[in-house]
Amino acid sequence: MFMLWIAIASLCMMFAAMTSFILVRESSGNWLEFTLPSLFFWNTAVIILSSITLHVSYWGYKNGKVGLYRGLLPVSLILGCLFVVFQYKGWMAMQGMGIHITGNASGAITYVVSALHAVHVLGGIGALVLANAHAFLLPYKITETRKQRFARTVTYWHFVDILWVYLLIVFINVL
Amino acid sequence: MMYLIAILIAILVFVIVVQIGKVNELAARLRGEEKAEHDGNEWNARMMLVFLVGFLAFAVGTSVYYYPYMLGYGPNILPTIHGPQIMQLFNITLFFTGIVFVITHILLFWFAYRYRNSKDRVAEFIPHDNKLEIIWTAIPAVVMAILVVFGLVAWNDAMSDVDADGEALGYVKVGTGDVENGTKNYIEIGATGLQFNWILRHPGRDGLLGTKNWQLITGSNQLGQDFKDSKNIDDIILDELVLPKGHTVRARISSRDVLHNFDIPHFFVKMDAIPGMPTYFKFTPTMTTEEYRDHLSQFPEWQVPADPEEPDGPQRWEAFNFELACAELCGKGHYSMRKIVRVVTEEEYNAWLDQAESTSFYLNEIRGTDDDPFLSRPTLQIEKRIREREAKKAKPAPSDVPAPTPGDTPAPEGQPLEGGETGSIQPLNSGTVGTSTTTTTVGNAVQSTVNSATITGTNVVNSATEAVQTGVNTAINAVNNAANSATNAVNNAVETTKEAASSAADKAGDAIDKAKDKAGEVKDNLLNNPK
Amino acid sequence: MADLKHNDGLLVEEYADYLYDGFHDHHHGDKYQTGFISHYIFSMDHKMIAKQFLITGMFWGLIGGLMSLVFRLQLGFPEASMAWLKPLLGKWITISEATGVGTLDPQFYYALVTMHGTILVFFVLTAGLSGTFSNLLIPLQLGARDMASPFMNMLSYWFFFLAGAVMFASLFLNTGPFSGGWTAYPPLSALPQASSGSAGGMTLWILSLVLFVVSVLLGGINYITTVLNLRTKGMSLWRMPLTIWAFFVTAILGLLSFPVLASGFFLVMCDRGLNTSFFLNEIYVGGQALEQVGGSPILYQHLFWFLGHPEVYIIILPAMGLVSEVLAVNARKPIFGYHAMVYSIMAIGFLSFIVWAHHMFMAGVNPFISNIFVIFTLIIAVPSAVKVFNWISTLYGGNIRFNPGMLFAIGFVSLFISGGLTGIFLGNSAIDIPMHDTYFVVAHFHIVMGVAAFFGMFAGVYHWFPKMYGRFMNDTLGKIHFWGTMIGAYAVFWPMHYIGMAGVPRRYYSFSTFDFSNQFAATNEFITIAAIITFGFQVIFVINFFYSIFYGKKQTTRNPYGATTLEWTTAINPGHGNWPGGIPAVHRWAYDYGKMGEEFIPQVEPVSEKEKEFDEAHPH
Repeated sequence: MFMLWIAIASLCMMFAAMTSFILVRESSGNWLEFTLPSLFFWNTAVIILSSITLHVSYWGYKNGKVGLYRGLLPVSLILGCLFVVFQYKGWMAMQGMGIHITGNASGAITYVVSALHAVHVLGGIGALVLANAHAFLLPYKITETRKQRFARTVTYWHFVDILWVYLLIVFINVL
Repeated sequence: MMYLIAILIAILVFVIVVQIGKVNELAARLRGEEKAEHDGNEWNARMMLVFLVGFLAFAVGTSVYYYPYMLGYGPNILPTIHGPQIMQLFNITLFFTGIVFVITHILLFWFAYRYRNSKDRVAEFIPHDNKLEIIWTAIPAVVMAILVVFGLVAWNDAMSDVDADGEALGYVKVGTGDVENGTKNYIEIGATGLQFNWILRHPGRDGLLGTKNWQLITGSNQLGQDFKDSKNIDDIILDELVLPKGHTVRARISSRDVLHNFDIPHFFVKMDAIPGMPTYFKFTPTMTTEEYRDHLSQFPEWQVPADPEEPDGPQRWEAFNFELACAELCGKGHYSMRKIVRVVTEEEYNAWLDQAESTSFYLNEIRGTDDDPFLSRPTLQIEKRIREREAKKAKPAPSDVPAPTPGDTPAPEGQPLEGGETGSIQPLNSGTVGTSTTTTTVGNAVQSTVNSATITGTNVVNSATEAVQTGVNTAINAVNNAANSATNAVNNAVETTKEAASSAADKAGDAIDKAKDKAGEVKDNLLNNPK
Repeated sequence: MADLKHNDGLLVEEYADYLYDGFHDHHHGDKYQTGFISHYIFSMDHKMIAKQFLITGMFWGLIGGLMSLVFRLQLGFPEASMAWLKPLLGKWITISEATGVGTLDPQFYYALVTMHGTILVFFVLTAGLSGTFSNLLIPLQLGARDMASPFMNMLSYWFFFLAGAVMFASLFLNTGPFSGGWTAYPPLSALPQASSGSAGGMTLWILSLVLFVVSVLLGGINYITTVLNLRTKGMSLWRMPLTIWAFFVTAILGLLSFPVLASGFFLVMCDRGLNTSFFLNEIYVGGQALEQVGGSPILYQHLFWFLGHPEVYIIILPAMGLVSEVLAVNARKPIFGYHAMVYSIMAIGFLSFIVWAHHMFMAGVNPFISNIFVIFTLIIAVPSAVKVFNWISTLYGGNIRFNPGMLFAIGFVSLFISGGLTGIFLGNSAIDIPMHDTYFVVAHFHIVMGVAAFFGMFAGVYHWFPKMYGRFMNDTLGKIHFWGTMIGAYAVFWPMHYIGMAGVPRRYYSFSTFDFSNQFAATNEFITIAAIITFGFQVIFVINFFYSIFYGKKQTTRNPYGATTLEWTTAINPGHGNWPGGIPAVHRWAYDYGKMGEEFIPQVEPVSEKEKEFDEAHPH
């Protein structure tokens, strides 16, 4: 878990670099402001909800509520996948607005940074798939190893969620 | 075959090295490990001292040997205003770092020798000394602070560029005479780097560089100059950079493709060239190339033939030139982007500008063609000047002093003739910069008187001319307007036919352009591959 | 090397107390690692991984060094024929039909220069230095069984290997390896039309480095976690040897700075492949006006150098840590000013994040901002100076043994002084105006990275060779290696200061285009010959290294140097888990040399009453 936090610190640096790129580029002029498609906001709700369901599932695992545990894990996974799908649709919406990756830097960097985030969400989805496999293929038992593993998945997923909220705030402020 | 020998040699080397190692190990064992170790320690300790002496001698010796080569030392004085200031900073830094270098090295190698291993001693247990730590933290901190202060002063002076009104800050040093710069107190030179050459552009007498647009670049219009901007009319593309001594020059540096760097080593001028974003470096040359050559001629290493294969040819000092190089990796030709920088006296500069004016790219390539946005104007200011000059050459005027001509101001679109506005002529002082000889002073004084008279006379003439010009302008305007209306009517009538004809013309034009581009590319290739 | 047991003749087992962690209950002795593949190839043992990093690093060091010899031949002997290289370099050597003289293609010259920099900075001095010694020493010196995650550790090596394989493959591309300098500035690196090396070569270069960044991050996470969580009983942070402090801070630097490099690379890849305009603006190249507008090459430089500067401290800090250790052990004295040294490491680490734009003084950055970077850059000289003074004071009053490790450690100090002092010139922006991108810079960073950091690495290899292989490297060959390299390296790089002061720019294929550079033929010859000879001395080192693995003098005692640190309390060939029983607990710092007349007191020895009185009178 400690190691995960260090890795998260590292990932934060990458997105910090992207943020600084956005801020410096925006203040240099030739920056087209546009309204983010509403899908981006729906997506925020999706990922926040998935974090909630995941956390409740984790609580359920720790406290013997097998129903919650096994019930909410697939929901989280589905919501995670929905996030990626909505992200893609959000990009299509931007294309529809005439914002292209080859166009103004404001649009281009929005594509790139949200794509980078989505890649990390995919990683989280991988971890969620594993968590689901463990939930359904293994008999329910609270072991230290499984708890730690689950905890790490939950932490990473929360990170990806909070990261998204942060990026959204940045986008709203500059676009 | 060669490779077989090489491999055999490699194997031989391997065997030799291993044997050296084994032999020494054996010898050590025979002598007794402890004795061998002791001998080894003694030898290395002594070598530490030998190295110390040798190294310091090497450092000093090479400094002496290379002294005549380094810019800012020996013959290589720095012919700009900011150069010596930077050199002073360099020398202060050298003073402090030199002391540290010598003292730490002496201590390091002396201690290594002095405290070499001995059976009769145990090392002293001195784990720390806080007082010492504070001292040797504070002293470097103070020295760094000194260097920072000197450094930032020099830096901000060198980089101070221009203020909001476009007036050059810091080293504005207007020299002894009239150098036309339009309304600016510095000469702005355009330098555009490309793979692998520099395109140098002089702004002409108006002192203003015309706009350029990378999308307008063609084989012949290498900079993409937008000729709708009248500032481009008098812009001159230079083969070598000609600058007047004692005047502030502001290089406007840009690039056509990748990053380059505008580097004139002797001037301590260096600035990255970035595509799409101009950067600037402001400097003031204080010596002409001739004066610098004269200076170099005093030194024996400069009195040898410049080309060893031509012993009767010019000597090194005679062949000397300031050079412009590229100092940012830009591709495979990075090392070959050379242009010569020539600093001349103001008189020479003015004479040069007179002659160079007529080589303006616009006048030679665009004027009178279909691409000429000023086609409708019969005479431009610059053409008038050139004609007057040529006429004067045919029958020389009573005074040989060149009449100061009003500078061009950028004319808004639609005015038939640029309004003449007397450019700001500086009254002559006698030799404010550098080395003026007595003759020059006297000559300057004479010129000064004549110039003042000429100025007054010219002003009267100019006012009269202006009145006439205004009258003529109005008449021409009226005629133009009438002509335009008529033309419009005709145009509307034959528009369809015209379009058909013009598309055919376009195709022809395209073909011509392609041919021009191809020619331009061939020219490019020749430029880029000096070999 | 004389046998140096602890003065009482006691063995560690007889007086140390232990931390029993049940390790050997789970891992049944040597049955853990069976099979050639899991022992030598996909090993998860930190000691084996250290050796993998070292040997791979040495391989790349030879390649990078050979590349430098080729381009030094071009500079030193531009008229000489390089036709004999044609079988190796193929199309990159053109042989004139008329004269039979072979010329090196300038495009490939720049590829060699680029690869030399990339390989040596990343593969050799980062992976080969940090990777080797962090892996070897962190668990051993802290009293840990292995790294926090041996699996991730293994991945860290194999990502490095993969990165190397990709970079190696790029050398054989038809369009050539990447040739835009290890700094890879766009637009040159983003436009294949501007340079053929910026075609496939650049793509592979970026791919290789992204894999490399993954390797560094995986390693760094491990090192930090192990240092913070897996120290043995009694090993507080302030009892750790300086090596560990250095590796720890280095890992933090890497973790925080490499992701920024990765970001920069992603954006360059977008400019290359997706026609974005992050770094491109108003470009006309290859006969065509490109459409990209609005980008700024300066933004790339900021992202690159935000890593680039900490990177050089990532290189030098481990070397400093190794040198501190070797100096103390062989001078039989505590490292002078241990606490000050730790604070200096931290200060250097922190400051290294706020000086990056001193690489960009002439880049067209607002000069006002440059002022700030001048101040911080000159400030960072202070902790560096403090470290130098402390090393010199470590020698004072010592009882110095000149084994090869010690020789290189002393040499390191000299080189760090020389190279570091020229940094003070360059850090002052006004002086950077004439010096930027000249040979003065080349001299500076080679002396401080290319020689000093290497000396740290050599000191580490010679000193800890017995820990890795249970044998010693040959002493005599080590001394020959040292003196040859010490003299040779200064001969190669010192004259470059002067050429730089004459204004000669770096990265020039030929000096003959310009009058001001065309006067250094003799210097270039001298440097090239010195470089060839110095490289020859490195060959001696490589031969010594591999020969000694099999035939070196065997280590017969566990603690041949009489060192205090924990790695010397294991068996001569420590097996998996490092200590056969429990892990020894630690009672003191790592530098009790010459204390109270005792030549050394191991960290594991409990503190006696007499000592307690002494300690109260002399706190350290």
